Amino acid sequence: MPILLVIPTGIGCDQGGYAGDALPAARLLAAASGCLITHPNVMNGAALYWSDPRIQYVEGSALNRFATGALGLRPVRRQRLGLLLDGGMEPELRQRHLQVVDGCRATLGLEIGPVITTDGPLGVRLSQGASGASWGQLERPDALLRAGEQLLAQGATAIAVVARFPDDPESGALAAYRQGSGVDGLAGAEAVISHLLSSHLGIPCAHAPALGPLALDPALDPRAAGEELGYTFLPCVLVGLSRAPQLVPLEAASPAVLADPQLLVRDQLGAVVAPAGALGGEAVLACAELGVPLITVANPCLLDVTAAALGLEALTANSYAEAAGLVLALREGLSPAALRRPLASGTA
Amino acid sequence: MRLEPLELRLLRQDGPLLDQVRQALAAHGGPLRWAITAVESSPAGPVLVIEAVVVIDDAL
Repeated sequence: MPILLVIPTGIGCDQGGYAGDALPAARLLAAASGCLITHPNVMNGAALYWSDPRIQYVEGSALNRFATGALGLRPVRRQRLGLLLDGGMEPELRQRHLQVVDGCRATLGLEIGPVITTDGPLGVRLSQGASGASWGQLERPDALLRAGEQLLAQGATAIAVVARFPDDPESGALAAYRQGSGVDGLAGAEAVISHLLSSHLGIPCAHAPALGPLALDPALDPRAAGEELGYTFLPCVLVGLSRAPQLVPLEAASPAVLADPQLLVRDQLGAVVAPAGALGGEAVLACAELGVPLITVANPCLLDVTAAALGLEALTANSYAEAAGLVLALREGLSPAALRRPLASGTA
Repeated sequence: MRLEPLELRLLRQDGPLLDQVRQALAAHGGPLRWAITAVESSPAGPVLVIEAVVVIDDAL
Protein backbone atom coordinates (compact mmCIF):
# COMPACT_ATOMS: atom_id res chain seq x y z
CA MET A 1 0.00 0.00 0.00
CA PRO A 2 1.83 3.19 -1.12
CA ILE A 3 1.87 5.92 1.50
CA LEU A 4 3.34 9.40 1.67
CA LEU A 5 5.53 10.64 4.53
CA VAL A 6 5.95 14.41 4.75
CA ILE A 7 8.16 16.13 7.33
CA PRO A 8 8.60 19.73 6.14
CA THR A 9 12.11 21.06 6.24
CA GLY A 10 13.28 24.16 8.11
CA ILE A 11 10.53 24.27 10.75
CA GLY A 12 12.45 22.66 13.60
CA CYS A 13 10.64 19.33 13.78
CA ASP A 14 11.75 17.43 16.85
CA GLN A 15 12.05 14.37 14.63
CA GLY A 16 13.16 15.10 11.07
CA GLY A 17 14.36 18.63 11.72
CA TYR A 18 18.05 17.70 11.78
CA ALA A 19 20.41 15.47 9.78
CA GLY A 20 18.13 12.81 8.32
CA ASP A 21 16.95 11.97 11.81
CA ALA A 22 13.54 10.82 10.57
CA LEU A 23 15.21 7.96 8.71
CA PRO A 24 14.37 5.35 11.38
CA ALA A 25 10.72 6.44 11.21
CA ALA A 26 10.82 6.25 7.41
CA ARG A 27 12.27 2.74 7.49
CA LEU A 28 9.57 1.61 9.93
CA LEU A 29 6.79 3.15 7.83
CA ALA A 30 8.28 1.57 4.69
CA ALA A 31 8.14 -1.82 6.36
CA ALA A 32 4.57 -1.25 7.56
CA SER A 33 3.29 -0.04 4.19
CA GLY A 34 5.50 -1.92 1.72
CA CYS A 35 5.95 1.31 -0.27
CA LEU A 36 6.91 4.67 1.20
CA ILE A 37 7.18 7.84 -0.88
CA THR A 38 9.10 10.57 0.90
CA HIS A 39 11.44 13.49 0.33
CA PRO A 40 15.15 14.24 0.82
CA ASN A 41 14.72 16.05 4.16
CA VAL A 42 13.57 12.77 5.67
CA MET A 43 16.33 10.67 4.11
CA ASN A 44 19.45 12.86 3.93
CA GLY A 45 21.93 12.46 6.74
CA ALA A 46 24.91 14.03 4.94
CA ALA A 47 27.50 11.24 5.24
CA LEU A 48 24.77 8.86 6.47
CA TYR A 49 22.02 7.33 4.32
CA TRP A 50 19.95 4.20 3.92
CA SER A 51 18.88 2.70 0.65
CA ASP A 52 15.69 0.62 0.69
CA PRO A 53 13.84 -0.50 -2.45
CA ARG A 54 10.57 0.10 -0.60
CA ILE A 55 11.38 3.82 -0.25
CA GLN A 56 10.91 6.21 -3.18
CA TYR A 57 13.08 9.35 -2.83
CA VAL A 58 11.20 12.29 -4.36
CA GLU A 59 12.21 15.95 -4.11
CA GLY A 60 9.60 18.21 -2.49
CA SER A 61 8.17 19.99 -5.53
CA ALA A 62 7.85 16.68 -7.41
CA LEU A 63 6.21 15.20 -4.33
CA ASN A 64 3.67 18.04 -4.44
CA ARG A 65 3.01 17.43 -8.14
CA PHE A 66 2.60 13.72 -7.44
CA ALA A 67 0.09 14.48 -4.68
CA THR A 68 -1.91 16.82 -6.92
CA GLY A 69 -2.11 14.18 -9.65
CA ALA A 70 0.16 15.92 -12.16
CA LEU A 71 2.98 13.37 -11.93
CA GLY A 72 3.32 9.64 -11.64
CA LEU A 73 6.44 7.93 -10.32
CA ARG A 74 8.13 5.05 -12.11
CA PRO A 75 10.67 3.15 -10.02
CA VAL A 76 13.98 2.63 -11.83
CA ARG A 77 17.02 0.43 -11.26
CA ARG A 78 19.42 3.35 -11.56
CA GLN A 79 19.69 6.96 -12.63
CA ARG A 80 22.54 8.61 -14.50
CA LEU A 81 23.54 11.34 -12.09
CA GLY A 82 24.67 14.74 -13.24
CA LEU A 83 26.52 16.94 -10.77
CA LEU A 84 25.91 20.69 -10.78
CA LEU A 85 28.50 22.74 -8.88
CA ASP A 86 28.18 26.37 -7.86
CA GLY A 87 30.77 28.54 -9.64
CA GLY A 88 31.15 30.42 -6.37
CA MET A 89 32.82 27.50 -4.60
CA GLU A 90 36.48 27.73 -3.56
CA PRO A 91 38.86 25.29 -5.32
CA GLU A 92 39.52 23.19 -2.21
CA LEU A 93 35.82 22.82 -1.38
CA ARG A 94 35.11 21.93 -5.00
CA GLN A 95 37.81 19.25 -4.86
CA ARG A 96 36.25 17.78 -1.71
CA HIS A 97 32.97 17.34 -3.58
CA LEU A 98 34.65 15.79 -6.61
CA GLN A 99 36.32 13.30 -4.28
CA VAL A 100 32.89 12.34 -2.92
CA VAL A 101 31.90 11.58 -6.51
CA ASP A 102 34.99 9.41 -6.91
CA GLY A 103 34.26 7.66 -3.62
CA CYS A 104 30.65 6.92 -4.57
CA ARG A 105 31.75 5.59 -7.96
CA ALA A 106 34.48 3.39 -6.49
CA THR A 107 32.81 2.20 -3.30
CA LEU A 108 29.10 2.18 -4.16
CA GLY A 109 29.26 1.60 -7.92
CA LEU A 110 27.16 4.64 -8.80
CA GLU A 111 27.20 6.12 -12.31
CA ILE A 112 28.01 9.81 -11.91
CA GLY A 113 28.76 12.37 -14.61
CA PRO A 114 28.67 14.74 -16.40
CA VAL A 115 29.80 17.50 -14.04
CA ILE A 116 28.95 21.12 -14.85
CA THR A 117 29.93 24.30 -13.01
CA THR A 118 27.59 27.31 -13.16
CA ASP A 119 28.82 30.28 -15.21
CA GLY A 120 28.74 32.51 -12.12
CA PRO A 121 28.25 32.28 -8.35
CA LEU A 122 24.66 31.33 -7.48
CA GLY A 123 24.56 33.81 -4.61
CA VAL A 124 22.61 31.88 -1.96
CA ARG A 125 21.02 34.07 0.72
CA LEU A 126 19.40 32.73 3.86
CA SER A 127 16.31 34.21 5.47
CA GLN A 128 13.65 33.48 8.03
CA GLY A 129 9.89 33.91 7.76
CA ALA A 130 7.74 35.55 10.41
CA SER A 131 6.94 32.07 11.71
CA GLY A 132 10.64 31.38 12.30
CA ALA A 133 10.75 28.90 9.42
CA SER A 134 13.91 29.00 7.33
CA TRP A 135 13.70 30.31 3.77
CA GLY A 136 16.20 31.55 1.25
CA GLN A 137 16.85 32.91 -2.17
CA LEU A 138 19.25 32.80 -5.07
CA GLU A 139 20.70 35.86 -6.73
CA ARG A 140 21.29 33.96 -9.98
CA PRO A 141 18.48 31.47 -10.62
CA ASP A 142 19.16 31.84 -14.35
CA ALA A 143 22.70 30.44 -13.89
CA LEU A 144 21.31 27.43 -12.02
CA LEU A 145 18.78 26.65 -14.74
CA ARG A 146 21.32 27.08 -17.56
CA ALA A 147 23.69 24.59 -15.95
CA GLY A 148 20.79 22.17 -15.35
CA GLU A 149 19.76 22.37 -19.00
CA GLN A 150 23.35 21.56 -20.04
CA LEU A 151 23.39 18.49 -17.79
CA LEU A 152 20.08 17.31 -19.20
CA ALA A 153 21.38 17.79 -22.76
CA GLN A 154 24.45 15.72 -21.88
CA GLY A 155 22.36 12.78 -20.73
CA ALA A 156 21.85 13.24 -17.00
CA THR A 157 18.59 11.67 -15.81
CA ALA A 158 18.85 13.09 -12.26
CA ILE A 159 20.82 16.02 -10.87
CA ALA A 160 22.65 16.59 -7.60
CA VAL A 161 23.24 20.29 -6.95
CA VAL A 162 25.91 21.69 -4.66
CA ALA A 163 25.59 25.40 -3.88
CA ARG A 164 28.01 27.44 -1.78
CA PHE A 165 26.15 28.50 1.34
CA PRO A 166 27.23 31.40 3.55
CA ASP A 167 29.37 30.36 6.52
CA ASP A 168 28.32 31.76 9.87
CA PRO A 169 30.08 29.62 12.47
CA GLU A 170 29.49 32.10 15.30
CA SER A 171 25.73 32.41 14.86
CA GLY A 172 23.47 31.64 17.78
CA ALA A 173 21.02 29.86 15.49
CA LEU A 174 23.70 27.44 14.29
CA ALA A 175 24.80 26.77 17.88
CA ALA A 176 21.19 26.04 18.88
CA TYR A 177 20.77 23.70 15.90
CA ARG A 178 23.95 21.80 16.73
CA GLN A 179 22.77 21.42 20.30
CA GLY A 180 19.37 20.12 19.29
CA SER A 181 17.09 23.06 19.97
CA GLY A 182 17.02 25.08 16.78
CA VAL A 183 15.84 25.30 13.23
CA ASP A 184 17.97 24.15 10.31
CA GLY A 185 18.77 27.57 8.89
CA LEU A 186 19.98 26.16 5.56
CA ALA A 187 16.99 23.98 4.80
CA GLY A 188 14.66 26.59 3.35
CA ALA A 189 17.16 27.81 0.77
CA GLU A 190 18.02 24.22 -0.13
CA ALA A 191 14.37 23.48 -0.84
CA VAL A 192 14.06 26.60 -3.00
CA ILE A 193 17.05 25.48 -5.12
CA SER A 194 15.85 21.92 -5.64
CA HIS A 195 12.23 23.01 -6.26
CA LEU A 196 13.34 25.47 -8.93
CA LEU A 197 15.55 22.99 -10.75
CA SER A 198 13.25 19.97 -10.55
CA SER A 199 10.13 21.86 -11.63
CA HIS A 200 12.04 23.44 -14.54
CA LEU A 201 13.71 20.26 -15.83
CA GLY A 202 11.15 17.61 -14.86
CA ILE A 203 13.76 15.16 -13.54
CA PRO A 204 14.74 14.19 -9.98
CA CYS A 205 16.98 16.77 -8.29
CA ALA A 206 18.32 17.19 -4.77
CA HIS A 207 20.66 19.59 -3.08
CA ALA A 208 23.68 19.50 -0.78
CA PRO A 209 25.08 22.72 0.72
CA ALA A 210 28.82 23.42 0.52
CA LEU A 211 30.19 24.89 3.74
CA GLY A 212 33.50 25.34 5.46
CA PRO A 213 34.26 22.85 8.26
CA LEU A 214 33.09 23.67 11.81
CA ALA A 215 35.10 23.48 14.99
CA LEU A 216 34.44 20.44 17.17
CA ASP A 217 31.36 20.85 19.39
CA PRO A 218 31.55 18.50 22.39
CA ALA A 219 27.83 19.12 23.06
CA LEU A 220 26.74 18.12 19.56
CA ASP A 221 23.22 16.69 19.52
CA PRO A 222 23.09 13.13 18.09
CA ARG A 223 20.42 14.25 15.60
CA ALA A 224 22.85 16.72 14.01
CA ALA A 225 25.89 14.44 14.13
CA GLY A 226 25.45 13.01 10.63
CA GLU A 227 26.46 16.38 9.22
CA GLU A 228 29.77 16.49 11.06
CA LEU A 229 31.31 13.22 9.93
CA GLY A 230 32.85 14.50 6.74
CA TYR A 231 33.65 17.53 4.64
CA THR A 232 30.49 17.50 2.53
CA PHE A 233 26.74 16.76 2.69
CA LEU A 234 26.82 15.10 -0.74
CA PRO A 235 26.97 11.29 -0.21
CA CYS A 236 23.33 10.90 0.89
CA VAL A 237 22.13 12.97 -2.07
CA LEU A 238 24.01 10.84 -4.60
CA VAL A 239 22.74 7.63 -3.03
CA GLY A 240 19.14 8.90 -2.81
CA LEU A 241 19.08 10.14 -6.37
CA SER A 242 20.78 7.02 -7.75
CA ARG A 243 17.47 5.16 -7.50
CA ALA A 244 15.00 8.04 -7.38
CA PRO A 245 11.90 7.23 -9.42
CA GLN A 246 11.43 8.72 -12.86
CA LEU A 247 8.93 11.60 -12.90
CA VAL A 248 6.13 10.88 -15.40
CA PRO A 249 3.85 13.79 -16.41
CA LEU A 250 0.41 12.18 -16.45
CA GLU A 251 -1.37 14.63 -18.74
CA ALA A 252 0.88 13.70 -21.68
CA ALA A 253 1.29 10.02 -20.80
CA SER A 254 0.38 7.40 -23.40
CA PRO A 255 -2.04 4.56 -22.54
CA ALA A 256 0.95 2.18 -22.49
CA VAL A 257 2.73 4.31 -19.88
CA LEU A 258 -0.41 4.59 -17.78
CA ALA A 259 -0.90 0.82 -17.95
CA ASP A 260 2.60 0.14 -16.57
CA PRO A 261 1.93 -1.88 -13.39
CA GLN A 262 5.03 -0.30 -11.80
CA LEU A 263 3.70 3.24 -12.18
CA LEU A 264 2.77 4.88 -8.88
CA VAL A 265 -0.05 7.43 -9.01
CA ARG A 266 -1.72 9.35 -6.23
CA ASP A 267 -4.98 7.38 -6.49
CA GLN A 268 -3.10 4.38 -5.09
CA LEU A 269 -2.15 6.19 -1.89
CA GLY A 270 -3.41 4.48 1.25
CA ALA A 271 -2.37 7.21 3.70
CA VAL A 272 -0.40 10.41 4.16
CA VAL A 273 1.63 10.83 7.36
CA ALA A 274 2.63 14.32 8.57
CA PRO A 275 3.52 16.22 11.77
CA ALA A 276 0.36 17.26 13.60
CA GLY A 277 1.30 20.96 13.55
CA ALA A 278 2.55 21.19 9.96
CA LEU A 279 -0.39 20.28 7.76
CA GLY A 280 -0.46 23.44 5.65
CA GLY A 281 1.66 22.27 2.72
CA GLU A 282 0.54 21.41 -0.78
CA ALA A 283 1.03 17.63 -0.66
CA VAL A 284 -0.88 17.13 2.58
CA LEU A 285 -3.75 19.41 1.55
CA ALA A 286 -4.03 17.78 -1.87
CA CYS A 287 -4.19 14.31 -0.32
CA ALA A 288 -6.67 15.38 2.33
CA GLU A 289 -8.93 16.98 -0.27
CA LEU A 290 -8.83 13.74 -2.27
CA GLY A 291 -9.92 11.75 0.79
CA VAL A 292 -6.62 9.97 1.42
CA PRO A 293 -6.52 9.02 5.13
CA LEU A 294 -4.40 11.58 7.00
CA ILE A 295 -2.33 10.33 9.94
CA THR A 296 -1.00 13.16 12.10
CA VAL A 297 1.94 12.49 14.39
CA ALA A 298 2.89 14.36 17.56
CA ASN A 299 6.20 15.83 16.38
CA PRO A 300 6.68 19.28 17.91
CA CYS A 301 7.80 22.06 15.57
CA LEU A 302 7.57 25.85 15.16
CA LEU A 303 4.13 25.71 13.57
CA ASP A 304 0.68 24.98 14.93
CA VAL A 305 -1.26 24.40 11.73
CA THR A 306 -3.33 21.47 12.92
CA ALA A 307 -6.12 19.38 11.45
CA ALA A 308 -8.60 21.21 13.67
CA ALA A 309 -7.35 24.64 12.51
CA LEU A 310 -7.72 23.63 8.86
CA GLY A 311 -10.95 21.64 9.28
CA LEU A 312 -9.38 18.34 8.19
CA GLU A 313 -10.24 14.84 9.40
CA ALA A 314 -7.27 12.95 10.78
CA LEU A 315 -6.18 9.83 12.61
CA THR A 316 -3.88 10.88 15.44
CA ALA A 317 -0.70 9.12 16.54
CA ASN A 318 1.55 9.99 19.47
CA SER A 319 4.66 8.65 17.73
CA TYR A 320 5.86 7.32 14.39
CA ALA A 321 5.71 3.85 15.92
CA GLU A 322 2.00 4.36 16.55
CA ALA A 323 1.59 5.79 13.04
CA ALA A 324 3.19 2.62 11.64
CA GLY A 325 0.59 0.60 13.52
CA LEU A 326 -2.18 2.68 11.96
CA VAL A 327 -0.63 2.20 8.51
CA LEU A 328 -0.51 -1.54 9.08
CA ALA A 329 -4.17 -1.51 10.16
CA LEU A 330 -5.19 0.37 7.02
CA ARG A 331 -3.09 -1.97 4.89
CA GLU A 332 -4.87 -4.95 6.44
CA GLY A 333 -8.31 -3.39 6.03
CA LEU A 334 -8.81 -2.94 9.77
CA SER A 335 -10.74 0.04 11.04
CA PRO A 336 -8.37 2.13 13.18
CA ALA A 337 -11.33 2.95 15.43
CA ALA A 338 -11.61 -0.73 16.37
CA LEU A 339 -8.16 -0.55 17.92
CA ARG A 340 -9.05 2.24 20.38
CA ARG A 341 -11.14 2.29 23.52
CA PRO A 342 -13.76 3.29 24.34
CA LEU A 343 -15.39 2.01 21.16
CA ALA A 344 -18.49 4.03 20.39
CA SER A 345 -21.65 2.19 19.46
CA GLY A 346 -22.29 2.31 15.73
CA THR A 347 -26.03 2.29 16.31
CA ALA A 348 -26.17 5.08 18.87
CA MET B 1 13.95 35.86 -13.54
CA ARG B 2 13.82 36.72 -9.84
CA LEU B 3 12.84 34.87 -6.69
CA GLU B 4 10.83 36.93 -4.21
CA PRO B 5 9.82 36.08 -0.63
CA LEU B 6 6.20 36.72 0.21
CA GLU B 7 3.88 36.68 3.19
CA LEU B 8 0.15 36.70 2.59
CA ARG B 9 -2.89 36.80 4.81
CA LEU B 10 -5.96 35.19 3.31
CA LEU B 11 -9.44 35.11 4.77
CA ARG B 12 -10.54 31.51 4.50
CA GLN B 13 -13.59 30.93 2.35
CA ASP B 14 -15.80 27.83 2.34
CA GLY B 15 -14.66 24.96 0.17
CA PRO B 16 -11.31 23.33 -0.61
CA LEU B 17 -8.25 25.19 0.63
CA LEU B 18 -5.76 24.39 -2.07
CA ASP B 19 -7.41 26.40 -4.83
CA GLN B 20 -7.84 29.40 -2.52
CA VAL B 21 -4.14 29.43 -1.70
CA ARG B 22 -3.02 28.90 -5.29
CA GLN B 23 -5.20 31.71 -6.60
CA ALA B 24 -3.96 34.10 -3.93
CA LEU B 25 -0.30 33.28 -4.70
CA ALA B 26 -0.73 33.45 -8.48
CA ALA B 27 -1.50 37.15 -8.19
CA HIS B 28 2.10 37.69 -7.02
CA GLY B 29 4.09 35.34 -9.29
CA GLY B 30 4.67 31.67 -9.94
CA PRO B 31 4.52 29.85 -6.61
CA LEU B 32 7.80 27.98 -6.12
CA ARG B 33 7.45 26.93 -2.49
CA TRP B 34 4.77 27.81 0.03
CA ALA B 35 3.13 26.72 3.26
CA ILE B 36 0.34 27.85 5.52
CA THR B 37 2.35 28.75 8.60
CA ALA B 38 -0.44 29.91 10.90
CA VAL B 39 -4.21 30.11 11.16
CA GLU B 40 -5.39 33.22 13.00
CA SER B 41 -8.89 34.04 14.14
CA SER B 42 -10.64 37.23 13.06
CA PRO B 43 -14.20 38.54 13.35
CA ALA B 44 -14.72 37.65 9.69
CA GLY B 45 -13.43 34.09 10.13
CA PRO B 46 -10.16 32.19 10.08
CA VAL B 47 -7.23 33.93 8.38
CA LEU B 48 -4.55 31.79 6.74
CA VAL B 49 -1.00 33.10 7.01
CA ILE B 50 1.04 31.92 4.04
CA GLU B 51 4.80 32.15 3.62
CA ALA B 52 6.13 31.62 0.11
CA VAL B 53 8.81 32.19 -2.46
CA VAL B 54 7.48 33.10 -5.90
CA VAL B 55 9.20 33.26 -9.27
CA ILE B 56 8.88 36.50 -11.18
CA ASP B 57 9.83 36.37 -14.84
CA ASP B 58 10.90 39.89 -15.82
CA ALA B 59 10.87 38.92 -19.50
CA LEU B 60 7.08 38.59 -19.46
